[in-house]
Amino acid sequence: MIEIAVLVIGLLLPLVLQDYLTVYATRVLILCLFALSFDLVWGYAGIMSFGQAVFFGSAGYGVALLARDLGITSILLVLPAGILIGFAFALLLGGFLLLGRHPASVIFVALGTLTGSYACDRLARGWYYLGGQNGIPSIPPMTIGSYELTEGPAYYYMAIGFLIVVYLLCRFLMRSQFGLALAGLRENEQRIAFFGYKVQHLKAIIFSLSGAIAGLAGSLYAFHEGFVWPNMLGVVISTQVVLYVLFGGSGTLIGAVIGTVVIEAVSFWLSNSYQDIWPIILGVLLLLVILFRPAGLVSLLLSERERVGSFGRPGKR
Amino acid sequence: MAVFEIASFGAIVVLVVLGLGIIASMMGIFNFAQGEFVLLGAYVTYIAYTAGLPVWVGMIAAPFVVGALGFVLERLIVRRFYAAPIVAMLGTYALGLIIREIVRGLIGGLYLSVPEPVGGSVTIGGMHFSTWRLVIIVITALVMAGSYLLLARTAFGLRIRASLENPALARASGISTNAIYGATFAFGAALAGLAGALIVPVFTLFADLGIRFLIQGFVAVMVGGIGSFAGPVAGAGLIGTLSAALPWVISPVIADVAVFVLAIIFIKFRPQGLVAGKGV
Repeated sequence: MIEIAVLVIGLLLPLVLQDYLTVYATRVLILCLFALSFDLVWGYAGIMSFGQAVFFGSAGYGVALLARDLGITSILLVLPAGILIGFAFALLLGGFLLLGRHPASVIFVALGTLTGSYACDRLARGWYYLGGQNGIPSIPPMTIGSYELTEGPAYYYMAIGFLIVVYLLCRFLMRSQFGLALAGLRENEQRIAFFGYKVQHLKAIIFSLSGAIAGLAGSLYAFHEGFVWPNMLGVVISTQVVLYVLFGGSGTLIGAVIGTVVIEAVSFWLSNSYQDIWPIILGVLLLLVILFRPAGLVSLLLSERERVGSFGRPGKR
Repeated sequence: MAVFEIASFGAIVVLVVLGLGIIASMMGIFNFAQGEFVLLGAYVTYIAYTAGLPVWVGMIAAPFVVGALGFVLERLIVRRFYAAPIVAMLGTYALGLIIREIVRGLIGGLYLSVPEPVGGSVTIGGMHFSTWRLVIIVITALVMAGSYLLLARTAFGLRIRASLENPALARASGISTNAIYGATFAFGAALAGLAGALIVPVFTLFADLGIRFLIQGFVAVMVGGIGSFAGPVAGAGLIGTLSAALPWVISPVIADVAVFVLAIIFIKFRPQGLVAGKGV
């Protein structure tokens, strides 16, 4: 029900919004896509990834380089390239952190991904070819045939299209046998291992998939903004997406979307008048949610039963 | 000269990591607000300085102020997180975010400097050493020795270790583990405050001061090994030395990244860290 309501609002929004708000809304949609990618790893599989921005940013940088140096802007090439880059980076990082003889502890994965994000940020800042501190400005717009996609309603509808497709794919995936096994990982990893699942492989697969989604979001973001900069890879964006998902409710796909929209909308609304105290309020709200509503905002609207794999039992986390 | 630079930076990292390591080892909590405790220590020193007091007054006050705040936060918030380490990470991250943004609001986006309480340099064998950095090295050594003695030789240290090793038995023996956890957290916070106060003349004061030390500190704790006193100290020494030494050989950016990447690879293949095992 909520999903349909959100969808209808999303489809009608550009008709009522002014142009500059549509641009802002497009950005939020792309961030929703990014939040979904984090929700898959943390909300479903219970892998704490503090480095989701690595895949988001590397795909952004990748497509920016394609556009700048090779003049490739066709949507048929750049988006698959972005997805592939995100996937490849996630496969590398996830494969390294998650696979191997010693099963990785949750803390190790969290720190490893966080450090990865910090390292990528530093590298991008110091690398002249990537534009150093300033990033890569004025990326040419994405093209479909000879039509140039610039920010505005057209881009908005493309972004929402991608969001719907990815959302449905995730939804299908999470309700399949694979998704149930993942939810089992989150609830009780040892038991899933005793069932004969290759726990580490499952984790590596979902981690790479989420990297691919983050890559898609990153490439859409790069073309929408028209530039990429080192922050896109860094710790700030990595933790931002954690905030979105925790706030909205991890372990439900719609929670990630709601969390992103609410945080971004409130921050847009407050940033004019209360720019200084907004981050403080955000911190306090987050703390309250963690303390008193561990299932996130969405738990105000949905019953716990909606979380795949928890089957009506209150979550233990 | 290079050796002195490296030693003084290593000392700074050890000082920062000590508090983090004690909280992580003794309580099993990764405190993401630790970097902000460092920031607060620096900020308290700055306030004392602008109020016209001598800088060293602020430096002495800083650990007490930050320790007290740590105690209050532990009582109100952190103690709810002991059962779940990941939730603790996120919760303390939120705490850190709040502290950082408040300080940012107070100082604006500025870079503020505080003078060294002891200026000048000492000449030993024809080489000049900054006095303040020498002082930092000495204080770090003292604090390290003091913390070690506190944990290993006093009755209070024994209680802390007992609560770590077997909380149920400790409670049965009449130790209030609750109070012990509060005190340990406050102690770790106070160490961070002291670190912040001491390093503020070397680095400038700015709102994101803590973040860099936070990641460095975590990596150091993991490299050293959680659960012991020696582990985090050894890890901090290693990471601090490497971070300070590598830029002499290769470009600073690569060096910075290389230290972290090497550390993560090391932890991957030796998850128990340099010093395995629990205890002091």
